[in-house]
Amino acid sequence: MSRMAWPKSDKSRTSAAGEFDGLMREHVPALYRSAFRWTGAVDRAEDLVQDLLVRLYPMHDELQRLDKVRPWAMRVMYRIFVDQLRRERSSPLQFGIDPADADAAGEEDHGFADPAAGPPELAEQQITRQRIAAAWTLLAEEHRVVLSMHDIEGYSLVELAAIMEIPLGTLKSRLHRARAKLRELLATERFE
Amino acid sequence: MYRNENGQSLPSVNNDSDALIRGLRAMDAPEPRPGFVDRALANATGVAAGRRTLDRAPATGRGWRHVAMCWETWLGAVMGGAVAAAVTVVLMSPARPHQGEQAIALALNEARSIDVLIESDRDLQDATIRIAVTGGVALDGFANDHIADWRANLGRGPNLLSLPVIARKAGDGQLVAVVEHDGKTRTVMINLTVSDSSARS
Repeated sequence: MSRMAWPKSDKSRTSAAGEFDGLMREHVPALYRSAFRWTGAVDRAEDLVQDLLVRLYPMHDELQRLDKVRPWAMRVMYRIFVDQLRRERSSPLQFGIDPADADAAGEEDHGFADPAAGPPELAEQQITRQRIAAAWTLLAEEHRVVLSMHDIEGYSLVELAAIMEIPLGTLKSRLHRARAKLRELLATERFE
Repeated sequence: MYRNENGQSLPSVNNDSDALIRGLRAMDAPEPRPGFVDRALANATGVAAGRRTLDRAPATGRGWRHVAMCWETWLGAVMGGAVAAAVTVVLMSPARPHQGEQAIALALNEARSIDVLIESDRDLQDATIRIAVTGGVALDGFANDHIADWRANLGRGPNLLSLPVIARKAGDGQLVAVVEHDGKTRTVMINLTVSDSSARS
C-alpha cells in the first residue's frame, strides 16, 4: 500500500486560486449584471454569483480548457438559479405557465421624473427607463432571464437554447410571451 | 450598430415595434456592493488572508451551511455524471461497508487522522485531490480555510491518504474527499460530529 503525502502548505491551492481568479475575474461583472436582471435585487444577485464561483472553483481545470468561459458559466448560473427558484417556491417550476399578474392598479407611483427638472426629451427618456425598470420588477423570473440574455446581452437564440437547455421552439415561444407580458405591464401603467 | 455592455455589436432597432428592446437596452443594473468581485473570488477559493469573508448574512439565510450545500450540489452532479472506472475511494477509519454515510465522532479540540483509501487499477499521473471540510472541523496546515487541493500521482493498487483533522467547534460537520483525473471523479463524504465533552477515550 502506498502512503500519499499530505501537503504541508497551501502553496498548491494558492496557485490554483490564482489561476481561477485570472480566469474568472473579467467575467464576474457581466455575470453579476445578468444575475441582477434575473433576481431583481442586489443581494440576491451577489449571492447567485457567489454560489456560481464556489461551484466553479473545483472545476477550474476544465474551465481552462474551454474556448469561451462565459457562456458555460452562464449555463451553470442559470441551473443554480432555477434550482433556487424551485426550492423557494417549494414546488416544481412550471416554465411556460405565466404566473398570475401583479395588480398594477394597486401599485405605488414608481417615481416618474419631474418634467420640469430638465429638457423635455431627457425627461421623457427617464420616464420611459423608469417605467420599463418598474415593469421589469413585476415580470416573472423566467421572462426576465430570456429578455435579459437575448434582448439586452445579445445572446443568439441558438446560444440561449444551449445555455438554458431547452428546444429552440420553446425558447422562441417564451421570448414572445415575455415581450408580450412586458408590453402588457407597460400599457397597464400608462392608462392609470 | 448598438454596442452592448459586453462590447458586442448588435443590430440597432429603429422602428416603434422595437422600442421595447431599445428601452430594455437602456435599463441600468446597479453596481454591486464595494469590493464584491474581490470578495466573491476570495470566498470561492478560500484565499482572503486565510479566511472566508461574509460581510452580511446571505439573502437566503444559508449562513455557514453555504459551503456544504454548494459542495453537496456539485458532488451530486458529479456523482451522477461520469464516474472514474479505475478509481474507488473509501473511508478506512472507522471501517464501514458503505460509502457516503460515514460518521466520525470527535471531541472538541481533538486532532485525528482520517484515513481515506484510494484504490486505482492503474498508475494515474497528475490526479487532483480535493478536500473540503465544513462545520467545526479544520484541516491541519490550512488555518481557517475550508478547501485544500493539490496534484498527486496515484500508484496502481491501494493509496492511503491520511487527512489531519482538528475539531475546533462543537456541532456537525462534513469532510468531502474528491479524486479527479482526466475529467472523471470519485468522491467520499464523511459526516463528523464534534462533542463538547472533556471526557476522551
